[in-house]
Amino acid sequence: MNEEPLERVPSFVVAQIGSRRIALQSSSIAELILSPLLHTFPHTTSLIVGVVVRRGRVLPVLDMGLGLLGVPSTSAKFYLVIERHIGNVADRYAIPVDGECELVSGIMFPPKDESEFAIGSLDLAGNVIDVIDFEKAIARSLAVKSENVETAEALQ
Amino acid sequence: MTQSHNSVSAASNNRTTEQVVVFSIGEFTFAISAAAIQEIRNTDSLGGMVMELESVVVSKVRHIIERDSRSYFVVSGFDHFHLPSSRPTTLLILAKTPTAVLVDRIEEMAEMRTIVTLPRSFQGEERVWYRGLTILDGRVVPVVDPKGFLTANELHTLEQTATEHQEPVDSVHGGGELS
Repeated sequence: MNEEPLERVPSFVVAQIGSRRIALQSSSIAELILSPLLHTFPHTTSLIVGVVVRRGRVLPVLDMGLGLLGVPSTSAKFYLVIERHIGNVADRYAIPVDGECELVSGIMFPPKDESEFAIGSLDLAGNVIDVIDFEKAIARSLAVKSENVETAEALQ
Repeated sequence: MTQSHNSVSAASNNRTTEQVVVFSIGEFTFAISAAAIQEIRNTDSLGGMVMELESVVVSKVRHIIERDSRSYFVVSGFDHFHLPSSRPTTLLILAKTPTAVLVDRIEEMAEMRTIVTLPRSFQGEERVWYRGLTILDGRVVPVVDPKGFLTANELHTLEQTATEHQEPVDSVHGGGELS
């Protein structure tokens, strides 16, 4: 037998962001939350569109739409809470997703396309879905945002 | 072992209550400690106390106001927070800094029970603008740092310039109107 023990089969969270279905390694996902209210206030940090409150905690909301879709995400009721590790400190963020998510197990294959942020792909009943590296997707979103700002400034 | 800092919880923050003045600029609501405010004035009632700075060295400061032999630099709230221009009707004269802030209106006085630090992912000017965030009536509201309206350098530059160039607004525009 060549089967891997069940605990070694990686699991992924599959989510819909705008028109795109993506997968993230489940180890980086803390939870999926339903939050009716996005709170906004003035700030100058790129990609953060506001904050949501979860169990008394304030979580920044990161818009991944620019990097993944090329356009900002539309408003959402569901947020994936993602844990990022920068140095030895863990930070939590919420990213807006459209609709509910799925938790799936499977083997990750090489990415189907050349992409700046896909680290692999999953075959879910014939549907091939990119597995996203969250940090690279953030970097891509920041780059798109920067390009948009430069374009807007050039047009002024 | 990692440590979670960002998802700021009330448990790790100051729980003593504090009176705050809640004000708005454009569509946004802010809170500021009541202890940081010396006076709240309607802009219509300021008249000849307002002087226009002839030389604008800090773009968000175009006026100076004299109160009780002290001068206060008037910071435009919407310029400070990079918001679309609004129609300010209220001036917050701060207590421990020679600064006054133009805001659209006062919403209420409230009791702030919790202030949480700004999540670390916020890395822009907001780290200077805000002491943290609070929740008032279910809304997340930034708590303004009164020292954040003007940096020490900006204050120094303004003070130097103000002594050289200032003119009563009434004599220039006949109005004493702040904007």
